[in-house]
Amino acid sequence: MMAEPAASLRFVDSVERGLARLRAIHPLMPWVIAALVLAPLPWVLVNTYHVYLANFICLMILLSVGLNIVKGFCGQVTVGHVGLYAIGAYTAAVMSVNFGTPFWISLPIAVGVTLLAGMVVGIPSFRLEGAYLALVTLGLGESVRLFISATEYLGATNGFSGVPAPRIGEFRFDTYQKYYFLVMPVMLLGVFFSFQILRSRLGRAFMAVREDPVAAAASGVNVRRHKMIAFMISAAYAGFAGALYAHMIPGYLNPRNFTVIEMVTLLLMVVLGGLGHIWGGIIGAIVVTIVYDITKDYYHYSLLMFGMVIVLTVLFMPKGIGGIIDRFIATRRFIAIRERQAEAARDEAD
Amino acid sequence: MELLLDFVIVGVSIGIVYGLVALGISLIFSGLDIVHFAHGEFYMIGSFLGIAVILFTGAPYFWALIGAMIISGVLGVVVERVFYRRLTRGGGGYTVAGMGMIICGFGMSVALQNVAYLLWGAAPHPYPVGFGMPIFLGNIALPKSYFYILICALVLMTVLHTFLTRTKLGLAVRAVAYNKDTSYLMGVNVPVMISLIFGVACAMAAAAGVLIGPINYVQIEMGYLMLLKAFAAAVVGGFGSLPGALLGGIVVGLFETLCAGYLIASYKDIYAFLLLIVVLMVRPTGLLGILVKVKA
Repeated sequence: MMAEPAASLRFVDSVERGLARLRAIHPLMPWVIAALVLAPLPWVLVNTYHVYLANFICLMILLSVGLNIVKGFCGQVTVGHVGLYAIGAYTAAVMSVNFGTPFWISLPIAVGVTLLAGMVVGIPSFRLEGAYLALVTLGLGESVRLFISATEYLGATNGFSGVPAPRIGEFRFDTYQKYYFLVMPVMLLGVFFSFQILRSRLGRAFMAVREDPVAAAASGVNVRRHKMIAFMISAAYAGFAGALYAHMIPGYLNPRNFTVIEMVTLLLMVVLGGLGHIWGGIIGAIVVTIVYDITKDYYHYSLLMFGMVIVLTVLFMPKGIGGIIDRFIATRRFIAIRERQAEAARDEAD
Repeated sequence: MELLLDFVIVGVSIGIVYGLVALGISLIFSGLDIVHFAHGEFYMIGSFLGIAVILFTGAPYFWALIGAMIISGVLGVVVERVFYRRLTRGGGGYTVAGMGMIICGFGMSVALQNVAYLLWGAAPHPYPVGFGMPIFLGNIALPKSYFYILICALVLMTVLHTFLTRTKLGLAVRAVAYNKDTSYLMGVNVPVMISLIFGVACAMAAAAGVLIGPINYVQIEMGYLMLLKAFAAAVVGGFGSLPGALLGGIVVGLFETLCAGYLIASYKDIYAFLLLIVVLMVRPTGLLGILVKVKA
């Protein structure tokens, strides 16, 4: 008689078999299913506030997935990501308010400008590493915020208001329910591309750069170019998130939304989800945003909590939630194999 | 011309305060090969502790300075022992331990900021000391606190320098900074020395906080900017070099004050970052830096 494997392992196996079956139909089938599952969310969540939260989670997933590419996979310690987010948001806002371009033009422009800014952030990574790079990126990120809050053209500390909602013909994305159908597909596309990138040759090159730049260079990886590509990809994610954030109602931007505190929240998402884990940014963004929302009443203590969670995560589970799940599954598999072997030995003895 | 003199005096005194914080950052870096991202928070907490000492004991300003330094030093040792020790156990490469340390320092910094918020609130606090009338140099009125900054900072630097170069304990600290394994074999108690380095660095940050208190209001958000400027000072002077930290602080303070005075004043806080970025790109060793630790 075969030993019954543990329930959790059976669940994991059935999920994997299901995914394999879907992929056998078409490689994109799991993504279509994901889109279909996520699509009715605005009707499931009756409360508008919860729909807003879903939109916000999508934006945060975009940001943290982008940050995970450069930080977790390419190993470049950047803490100025919120600056790129701010650049994306303000570019889109200025384009549509001061130049009157529609969303569909200001979005690519915002992404392009953020890409260029990402290149500027990436250049120091050629010569600097570790703490020095963290300093420079932190300085750049803070400079962006200080520049915005001191420039009248960008609304200074009063904020930048009146960013119009995107529209297709007469259809305007002017409620959170409608906006969800703009944000969710972009988020899914972003996650899809991150999976494609990280499982390709490019992703393996990033990991080689992270593990040992010298060895990577010796194996034929152009270290500088791959660092730059990683920075640019993550900047593009930040640009998309920023532009979508700017056009979300109420269409109002304030430099106080791009402070170090937001950076810490973003860092917490990536660290808690798992640095260098392919699901890390997604898990982290969902968990942190929901926990933040539940504990909203205790917002006095939120930074203390976040900070300690970051510290304790780094100390006691450096691979984050994703790493723990991976290890759990691996341990279960191992136990199952051992049991099967023991059984075979017993059968033989009989 | 008088305006220039005013800017120079203000810039140098502010710069010396940056130098004090940069000294701590440099000390921790040379001792442990890590950059302490929560150092700005020790500066902020030290400043508040100075107020607390004055209010609770009615002690004069200079005793408050020393009291705040001692309490912050102990706090720094506790934080190092409880949290950072696990990370520095590996010795301190850049990729794994370094990234962990940066993230950990970030987390610690927001946590400490929140603790300060819970204790003292978000409103800016004035410093409960009065130094009397400002000193007049020709037509310029200079508050006396600028001179106190100069004197106190120079005294502190001299004491620290004497401690590091003339005493046996200081020799042990320098040995640990040079090579942990060798100093361990020579009978230096390395973990205690590392705690000592942390304590001294945090005490220096607290002294900077108490010194700048009478000029600026004290508030919980002042740590970040100070951290970045002190980093700029440490980098400009050369990371890991103690005289360099002081020199770098003065350079950053002067640069910032002069730029704010003669260019756009509202971008005051950006100039220090610009200097930081330019120095890191052009001459990463800084003015006095000799050694740049690079992963093999």
